[in-house]
Amino acid sequence: MVGRYIARLNAVDVVLWGLRVGVVAVVVIGTAGTLIKGRYNAAQWFDFVMFGLTIGSIYAQIALGYTMVYGVLRLINFAHGDIVMTGAFAGYFVAMPLDRSGFLEDQPVVAMAAVLLVAVIVSTSVAVLTERIAYRPFRRVVGLAPLICAIGVSFFLEQTFRGMFGSAVKSYPDPPWQRAAFHVLGFNVPRIDVLVIGLALLFMGLLYLVVQRTRMGTAMRAVAEDGEAAALMGIDVNKVVVFTFVLGGAMAGIAGVFYAFVYKQVYFLMGFTPGIKAFGAAVLGGIGNIPGAMLGGFFLGMVESVGPTLFLDGIGIPAPYQLRDLIAFTLLIMVLIFRPHGLLGEALARKRA
Amino acid sequence: MGALLKWSAGVALLCASQAAMAATVGPVTDDLGVIRIAKGAPIQIGAYWVLSGADTALGLDEKRGVEIAFKDVGGKLLGHPLKLNAEDDGCNAEGGQTAATKLAANPQTVIVLGPACSSAATPGAPILWQQGIVDICTACTAPALTASTRKKEYDGFARTVFSDAEQGKADATYIHNVLKAPSVVTIHDGSPYAQQLQQVMADNFKQMGGKVLSQEAIAPTDVDMKPLLTRIASEKPDLIYFPVFTAAAAQIVRQARGTPGLEKTKLMGGGSLLSADFIEAAGPGVVGFIIGYPDLSPEAMGQNYPKFVDEYKKAYNEAPISGYHANAYDGAMLAIKAIEKVAKTDKDGALYIGKKALRDAVFAIKFDGISGPIACDQYGECSQFKPSVLEFTSSDPKTFGVGKNPKKIWP
Repeated sequence: MVGRYIARLNAVDVVLWGLRVGVVAVVVIGTAGTLIKGRYNAAQWFDFVMFGLTIGSIYAQIALGYTMVYGVLRLINFAHGDIVMTGAFAGYFVAMPLDRSGFLEDQPVVAMAAVLLVAVIVSTSVAVLTERIAYRPFRRVVGLAPLICAIGVSFFLEQTFRGMFGSAVKSYPDPPWQRAAFHVLGFNVPRIDVLVIGLALLFMGLLYLVVQRTRMGTAMRAVAEDGEAAALMGIDVNKVVVFTFVLGGAMAGIAGVFYAFVYKQVYFLMGFTPGIKAFGAAVLGGIGNIPGAMLGGFFLGMVESVGPTLFLDGIGIPAPYQLRDLIAFTLLIMVLIFRPHGLLGEALARKRA
Repeated sequence: MGALLKWSAGVALLCASQAAMAATVGPVTDDLGVIRIAKGAPIQIGAYWVLSGADTALGLDEKRGVEIAFKDVGGKLLGHPLKLNAEDDGCNAEGGQTAATKLAANPQTVIVLGPACSSAATPGAPILWQQGIVDICTACTAPALTASTRKKEYDGFARTVFSDAEQGKADATYIHNVLKAPSVVTIHDGSPYAQQLQQVMADNFKQMGGKVLSQEAIAPTDVDMKPLLTRIASEKPDLIYFPVFTAAAAQIVRQARGTPGLEKTKLMGGGSLLSADFIEAAGPGVVGFIIGYPDLSPEAMGQNYPKFVDEYKKAYNEAPISGYHANAYDGAMLAIKAIEKVAKTDKDGALYIGKKALRDAVFAIKFDGISGPIACDQYGECSQFKPSVLEFTSSDPKTFGVGKNPKKIWP
């Protein structure tokens, strides 16, 4: 049986197996080496995990926008990272006066709610306008034109914000309650990280319920399954598409504010890198699959944060954090080699088949 | 015999082609070609700096320095108006390549000033020199650009700013002898400037007896520095040295303060961070942060520097927004003096400038600039270096001012 399989292997299979074995070897040997060295204490490992969960929760929220739009329209919305940026900017213009007046410090819950609300309104409006003005005319166009249009929208948003607000980095407020940390079992847990992870899980849970339990969510899933059949059943596809962009835009606005509150900087190109990574996360989870996007986001965040230290320290590679994107995307490729539809994409693919 | 004839013919052809390269236009003959500027037409001086993004202040400050130099000579030279064609290079290699290509494609580009970043100069200078255009850099400090081992394609490159071979040595001296820090970790972002400067500093620091625990690297677009800083904290360094650019450096400054184990670790950056934009981006953590920088105090600069600063304030309604304006002014003056020296006018009032003659003039001219004496060595290093260390004193960007925030703390 094994002999027959080996006999049927071609050059591509050999390369792929070599890649798999190589990556697994680096992961296993590197991890063992790092743990044996014992350079990091438990608190530091805990910090690595917390950092990974924090950035992962943000990637997951952004990835939801990519995956929902792809599910409904089969369009990769490359402007989604820039919609995150619009939310972060909107939040900035609310957060700064609130910080200056002392309201952000005195009434953090109300102030954060106001910042998030304005960010969500702006990012959702931009997302809906983008769909109406730029993407809808391309709805029936086959080929690469819709994708090129999405890239164009991305540049348009970036340069518009650059023109309106300048190209310098703007600093988000940093109130003392965000800088504080919880001390649990000897571990240091930054309050802002807990807030971001907790709220991200809450909002993603709500979004999941909306998609699974509401009429509009059901219609969205129906359009994702078969748009033409859904239209024949009386579903207003345009409404469903707008609803999808509303949900994606809202999550982008929230993610933009969280990203800016954690990393404290906003500028016109800030959405590009997290956007690309979140797209990777959506593909990793199985593009079109909502729980998959969430899982992919957390996976990517964790690999970025823990991976360089865990896998490369042990084999003596200098400056491992320069390679964190390489590690993250190599693992992404590995997952896709083993599961071409992504971590949770298979169920959907089978259903469609 | 036949082979000898063929060989002789080849040599003759080669000599002929070399001779053909020397061009005669009007009254000027030059090996690299001649630029003719019609009567009344402008003398076009190209430039490329970072004019957008987080490091805008760096390039804009230099552009202003050049504009003041043009104003100081009356905006005209030999009866022709001076025209500055400035391109934005984004402080990266792709931008430098594009900007240099665009400037080189203009047959009227006489000479080029800038850029601010070594990342842009590294691909940009050879593209310009391929067309016989001299590039006088105004802030790119990577040692390799004027090293004795530099390639022929950099023959047209000179700079009115110091080399980081000097800056790195001065930083190591300060860390080892003044701060008395026994161990450091360095971080670079892969750019020629950051990579070479941290390497020079690390090499000098080791020679002085210090310990370099590790040399880390990031990408210029990295935002999440916490995992890297946690890793560095496990090494317990006395100082982290990171001569990177505004966005990434600001994140390191912000996130280092909240990283367990780095509370008392000193942070030191480089010359790309002297701007109000950096103070804005770095937030409260900037107070106490130090950078190695050439000495900009009036006593260390040329005697006309205070007058220049007054002119700057009058022209732009603010004090200099970064630190390389004087180098840019001197770069422009060097270009102007070189053009004056070699340009010839015919009876119709047209101006002729030989490209090789211009290059030779740039490398030969000596004068007292506002940044100090300007005199190029054979590898294009024209500036002298006086070290200093500056410390930020406030996180309010409005308080930015060289000598105030950041203030000079050494020597």
